[in-house]
Amino acid sequence: MASPITYLLVFTAVIILLVVLFYPKGGIYWRLKNSFKNDSKTLIEDILKKLYHAEDGGNSLSTNDIISSTNIRPKKIIETIAQMEANQLINFNNGTIKLTENGMDYALRIIRVHRLWEKYLSEKTGFDKKDWHDIAEKMEHKLNTKQAKELATNLGNPRFDPHGDPIPTEFGEIEAIQGKPMPVFKEGTIGRIVHIEDEPDIIYQQILAEDLHIGSHVHIVENNEKRIVFHSEGEEYVLAPIVANNITILQLLKDEILEENTFRLSSLKENESAKIIGISNECRGEMRRRLLDLGFVLNTTIELDLISPMNNPRSYLVRNTAIAIRNEQAKFILIEKIKNHANSN
Amino acid sequence: MKTNKILNISNDLRWQIGDGFHDKLTEGIYSDAAQIAQNSVFKKGATKHFRFDRVLDKIVTSKIWGFPIMILILSVVLWLTIIGANYPSGLLSQLLLDTIHPWLKETTISIGFPIWLAGFLFDGVYLALAWVIAVMLPPMAIFFPLFTLLEDFGYLPRAAFNLDNLFKKSGAHGKQALTMSMGFGCNAAGVVATRIIDSPRERLIAIITNNFSLCNGRWPTQILIASIFIGAMVPKGFAGALSTLSVITIALLGVFFTFAVSYFLSKTLLKGEVSSFTLELPPYRPPVFWKTIYTSLIDRTLIVLWRACVFAAPAGAVIWLIANISIGNITIAHWMIEHLNGFGFLIGLNGVILLAYIVAIPANEIVIPTILMLTVMSVSISGVGEGNGVMFELESATATGEILRAGGWTLLTAVNLMLFSLLHNPCSTTIYTIYKETKSVKWTVIASVLPLIIGFVVCFIVAQVWRILV
Repeated sequence: MASPITYLLVFTAVIILLVVLFYPKGGIYWRLKNSFKNDSKTLIEDILKKLYHAEDGGNSLSTNDIISSTNIRPKKIIETIAQMEANQLINFNNGTIKLTENGMDYALRIIRVHRLWEKYLSEKTGFDKKDWHDIAEKMEHKLNTKQAKELATNLGNPRFDPHGDPIPTEFGEIEAIQGKPMPVFKEGTIGRIVHIEDEPDIIYQQILAEDLHIGSHVHIVENNEKRIVFHSEGEEYVLAPIVANNITILQLLKDEILEENTFRLSSLKENESAKIIGISNECRGEMRRRLLDLGFVLNTTIELDLISPMNNPRSYLVRNTAIAIRNEQAKFILIEKIKNHANSN
Repeated sequence: MKTNKILNISNDLRWQIGDGFHDKLTEGIYSDAAQIAQNSVFKKGATKHFRFDRVLDKIVTSKIWGFPIMILILSVVLWLTIIGANYPSGLLSQLLLDTIHPWLKETTISIGFPIWLAGFLFDGVYLALAWVIAVMLPPMAIFFPLFTLLEDFGYLPRAAFNLDNLFKKSGAHGKQALTMSMGFGCNAAGVVATRIIDSPRERLIAIITNNFSLCNGRWPTQILIASIFIGAMVPKGFAGALSTLSVITIALLGVFFTFAVSYFLSKTLLKGEVSSFTLELPPYRPPVFWKTIYTSLIDRTLIVLWRACVFAAPAGAVIWLIANISIGNITIAHWMIEHLNGFGFLIGLNGVILLAYIVAIPANEIVIPTILMLTVMSVSISGVGEGNGVMFELESATATGEILRAGGWTLLTAVNLMLFSLLHNPCSTTIYTIYKETKSVKWTVIASVLPLIIGFVVCFIVAQVWRILV
């Protein structure tokens, strides 16, 4: 029999080995698997997407730009670009690369799958918002046109992905995003958030941390080079312009403007009552349907019923029924507080 | 051509309707319903009952009283079950094991059954069945009706409401508190009870982790081993307190593993499952006593007992067979014990215990009798036991302890058996129930293998560290 210390050492070594191999994302096993899968089809499609996004933003890319934006061997990229030119997906113009009509179609097909898949993840699964993009990045190379069509039909042919980006139709038509980045607007503007960009990741995480929702109305109260301050759903937000730049808003016409009296249900206090205005677009899929089914619909009056010992969840009285929901969900329900009249009895 | 046109129109319309269609539809249904109700429903007097509800609600969910009330109720239910079940269990085992069993054997042999057939049928199949019924039926017949009464009264949703924040942190649902408590009675019933969790992800978490609730079949094992080995470490006066404490520690360790594994699952395997939380707090109602008792006996107790019996009968046969069939010149049981001893030693147990857990998968209740039988057989103690393949238990804990020590047990073996009894695969009844509830081989396999792996790892580490230190 070997000594217990030997056993423990062997055991620790096995655990370390397993962690190194299979650690989510960083593990050697996953990396190897990825590098095998990174065949030329995936690379072509990734380059097409880069070109599309650049052209959409009015920029152009050279071969060097593409090489420096990925960590794939330059030689492979140059070969792939040559192959793409031979297949008439792209052509060169003064050192910059342009998409041909074929290339554009192809790129839109990939983007369609990507955005459809994000929509699918948001509606039919429980994956967290911050994981959608990475999963869709992988799926976009796997679905063919027919599968994409099936997916779209199952989702009810959605027009926008959960970030507010338009989804190209199967014939490659795409709507333009309406609205402009937030820093463009003057102080005093009232608008609606229509799009939140999910790249780059660092900025997207900051926006997620602020808990802003697509569809929310915002009222800009301060806008200068240092910061942008705005009110939304009863809270005040302060963002750096570089962050705010990734939020697109659409200015509202006069008659679309809701009263300033909009709050989130999570801010309702005891002995206050309120009327439900709606559920934020950010609350999706099964969760949204459940809330609707339970009667969290327009014009319903609602009161705070009980607070659990640890403050969360809280139960609310909706149509004389006590329903408990978590504060994280109550944030999605928009209310208008009813002025408290002195008790009339 | 025509269908294409219709499809095009429908597509166009779909785009015009926009995303809020589902919301508008629900609003419409609600406002219509409200209108109909307003025109046709008349209320009389009203709201008195509602106020009583409110007062009670304020107390049971208050910051000060919420948790003490909950702990008190659960302790009373568990206490009633453990203490109350002793008497009917004693009667049943006297009847089924001490009276009917010998009678059956003698009668059948006297009318000419061969000894091996009588042994197989009555020492094997009958004994396992009888054992399971005797130890399993009384606690379940007490625990489930009590639980169902609380549920009917309306208290349980409040408990879930109080505890939800704790469970949320590990990605689980507040109602898991209820299925977990139910698991203290019986894991199979706990798994069935997860039907109250309407969110798919949280329900799977509750199903997979239910096994970490120390069930009725395992409490006696814990209590017996703790009093033989752990209580013996200190002077007599403290023995009771220390062994009780160690059993409670094991149960709490189970709660800890419930949370830890829930957290792990919600971050990895179950990440993509749909999650949605809502909890209705129904008004309090006086429970319909007899109806409740009847349905809980039929729905919970008898179904679980029936399943346990279906699995116990073949297990009894297997236990008898491996102890009585020889290959070469040793029995199958001997052969398996020898081969399992190496691995058993590595995780601080022994071959007998591992073999007992393999053949006693149908019910944790028959683990100790099987261990005793196998130990007596493998170290050839004469004068105790009933013969190869016949499970037995002894009246006194001291005598049991002597047998186990003769089988080479140390304090480490005892501690690791207690750990392994908490952390091993669910019994076959529970496994089958998990399959019935999830309809998925994948989740059933995960729910069965995951606790076993955790058990091996924990026992292994404890054994090695113990050997270094002691």
